[in-house]
Amino acid sequence: MSIATTSPRLFSRAWSALLLVILAFLIIYPTGMLLLGALTDANPVIDGFANMQLSLGNFATVLANPTVHAALGNSLLACTGGTLLAVVIGLFFAWIVVRTDTPMRGFIAATGMLPLFVPPLVAGVAWAILGSPKTGLLNTVLASMGIGFRFNLYSLSGIIFVFGMYYAPYVYMFTASALRNMDPSLEEAAEISGASAFRTMFTITFPLILPAIVSGMLLSFIVMLGIYGVPATLGAPANIPVLTTYIFQLTSWSPPRYGTAASVAMILMVVTGALVVIQQKVLSGRSYVTVAGKAFRPRTLRLGPWRWFTFALAVIYLFVVVLLPTAALLIGAFRKFLFIRNLEALFDAKQYSWLHFDRLFSNPATIDSIVNTMEVGVATALIGGVLAFAVGYTVARTQAPWRRAIDVIATVPVAIPGLVIGVAYLWAWIGLPGGFYGTIWILALAFVARFLPDTVKVLTSSLMQIHRELEEAAWLCGRGTLSTIATITLPLARPGVIAAMTLLFVLSIRELGSSLFLYSSQTMVMAVHLLGYYEGGNFSVTAAFSLVQMVLLAVLIGLTNLATRSSAPSDAVGSVGRAG
Amino acid sequence: MQITRRAALAGIGTLALARQVRAFEPYKPSAELLAAATKEGRMVYYTASFTEVEQEVINAFNKRFPGIRIQMVRAPGGQLITRIKTEAAAGKLSADVIDHSDRGLMKEVENLFADYAPPNADDYLPSVLISPKLWPRLTPAWSIAYNTELVKNPPKSWIDLTKAGYDKGAIAQVIGPSGGTTWTRIMFERQVLGEDYWKRQAATKPALYPSGAPLADALVRGEVQIAPLVYNAILPKKRDGAPIEIFFPPEGVPIVPYATGIPKTAANPNAAKLFLDWSLSDEGQAFTIKDQGNLTSLKSPPFVPEGFDPKIAKVWVPDFTQFAALRDKWLEEWNTVYGYRQ
Repeated sequence: MSIATTSPRLFSRAWSALLLVILAFLIIYPTGMLLLGALTDANPVIDGFANMQLSLGNFATVLANPTVHAALGNSLLACTGGTLLAVVIGLFFAWIVVRTDTPMRGFIAATGMLPLFVPPLVAGVAWAILGSPKTGLLNTVLASMGIGFRFNLYSLSGIIFVFGMYYAPYVYMFTASALRNMDPSLEEAAEISGASAFRTMFTITFPLILPAIVSGMLLSFIVMLGIYGVPATLGAPANIPVLTTYIFQLTSWSPPRYGTAASVAMILMVVTGALVVIQQKVLSGRSYVTVAGKAFRPRTLRLGPWRWFTFALAVIYLFVVVLLPTAALLIGAFRKFLFIRNLEALFDAKQYSWLHFDRLFSNPATIDSIVNTMEVGVATALIGGVLAFAVGYTVARTQAPWRRAIDVIATVPVAIPGLVIGVAYLWAWIGLPGGFYGTIWILALAFVARFLPDTVKVLTSSLMQIHRELEEAAWLCGRGTLSTIATITLPLARPGVIAAMTLLFVLSIRELGSSLFLYSSQTMVMAVHLLGYYEGGNFSVTAAFSLVQMVLLAVLIGLTNLATRSSAPSDAVGSVGRAG
Repeated sequence: MQITRRAALAGIGTLALARQVRAFEPYKPSAELLAAATKEGRMVYYTASFTEVEQEVINAFNKRFPGIRIQMVRAPGGQLITRIKTEAAAGKLSADVIDHSDRGLMKEVENLFADYAPPNADDYLPSVLISPKLWPRLTPAWSIAYNTELVKNPPKSWIDLTKAGYDKGAIAQVIGPSGGTTWTRIMFERQVLGEDYWKRQAATKPALYPSGAPLADALVRGEVQIAPLVYNAILPKKRDGAPIEIFFPPEGVPIVPYATGIPKTAANPNAAKLFLDWSLSDEGQAFTIKDQGNLTSLKSPPFVPEGFDPKIAKVWVPDFTQFAALRDKWLEEWNTVYGYRQ
């Protein structure tokens, strides 16, 4: 039973065509501009299409460049290491929070999501303050204790460590909801057959949520591949180039080299494209339906005294990933300057003041950027949520024509690094009639396009788990397709929809790359304003602004959580914790 | 009042770090210009300078002319010029004033600009002017800075940066290809300090940074000990009390005059003119010198920074033809000498 058979054929063709037109405008057109950029050194808006000399020269230069080889190798190493670490941490956390009786799970889940709110640039700088081999606070503490060991975060393993810590929430988001929605009967069967709790976990539970694990892995790998802030702050001092830092250099050198940058971006796209294909191969031909039309509640595993062990691990993680960097940011934001000779100097109260916050808020652009960012975030979440649901539902639940093409196109932006796509959006959309350029809407559309794959993935994995029998029941009762979606699918997928929109909101607030060229004097956003302070070399104001941004996000997420809480009032995890 | 507090802080710095060398009149616009600018009431300002630095300029301007709201678009040089060219080609350039550190790139888009000259045009050094439409609103200068907590035997000249005896990685540099500002400095090094200066300096194995701002921050934190830096990037940190000393080396002080102009398409040309007239006046230049640590391209500076004696210090301006002609070739050589892979 499907849309194609229950609705007129014409409708389903028109529907697919409409989606394709929207996706063409949002994705194919700007991506085409980027490709064009890689094939020429011209700017399509200035030089016009007629005068362009197309050549593979940029590619040849890039492929022969040893820095690109080194950058590609480093990128792959850092992201592979980071992803493995993120999976271990994220999966473990999802299991602790959803399936065990570890104390204070709600609190662990909520605070465990905090790294998601931290812009990568800020995370990088916080860890540079903590783990620089020469001046890191951790090393200052070790020295004062007479311990010879020194941390060195200015290294590939430093980047892997920070990646793994900060992108674990992505894996968590996917796997937690899969674990929560899972039918426990298979696990019960395993235990009745005498399997131990851990054996059950590795042979039944994790294999069952494999799509969620693979999706989380893939997304975190790809997100890491596109991150600029962490390798810029931790890799640059040790001369470890990665693809993103190299691309950023190419665009900011004067004169800029967008053609070369676009060619390097193509390498990133190829790598990512290959990963997507691998993911589809891994998942193809298997059924992962675990949410069916009968009521159940996932069982909680009683860990006994071991629950204090899991609790301790959670506390250590939170200490490392939340408390330490936040402390570093607080020190950065309140200390007049960051030369810290020894441990005593760290506690010298005379060195602390509100100076940097005064500076930050004496600039009227700060408040403007906060207001603009909120507007763009809400617009992105609403438009992106609707579009992603339309795409996700069409692809996962219907037989509508061209849905494979829709799926593939909607996945393309995942492969394009944000630092380069910004200029492609500018080239593509500046010529649009009306006052579109220079408004918040152009930013919102860019974010919708850029994060469509992430949003669709989150929604699809929750749609995939809803058994078709529920929708079929509604159709049998005489409901139409739209009515079934409204009364059955949407309410069941609600956690996924809310998670997707919250994710969009958070991502759009942090998004830097595609904002760089689309903001105007009236629509400056926080990420651009933050980069302005960072590039101005004022880390203290950058840290102060980062704290403001984190507090704002936490408050907003808290409010969203309150507003959407209904079925499970005792669930303190909230919408982000429920994400996936 | 935050501004008052900041002004007070800046004032303390001013006493110690700059001195007035000649009397000058405050800027006074014509009644017509002031009325027309006030009627426009706003202005859009594109700049490649830093957010915080330019917000100070806007605050100072608004203290004199409160009726004009300035909205800033700030981007690194390469990105800003891409935006300007693309917007102009699409007929959507929204800037009323464009301000850029790379005169070479600005010269390429000279035709976008309207005819403009400030009332004191004749007071400017002819050697820094590259177009009758573009003016050096800002003139940053190179200096050498070091961390006083870490350096016991401070350098006194450019040549000292080639000497052994400092810790490995103690000296740091901004990479040559980072932009017009650094290109000016490395051009100076080769033309004034000697053909082999790069080689000798590179032999000390300096740490390389992508741009000046993170390097200034690293110097304060003690990641590196000594670095050539643009004076305005490091001076505010010294004022905040960071353990930093800065000096202008005796062999020469490379300066990087900006190019600033009013586009033909400016929607608020009078506000733009008022802003630029004020910025380029003795009063405006005195402000960027004493409050922000810049030099000036005026023939006779109204103020000079501490440690800078205009009679002794040799200000070095790059020859504009060579600035463009030598760039690609020399940068490639610099990359090789410093082992920087591009």
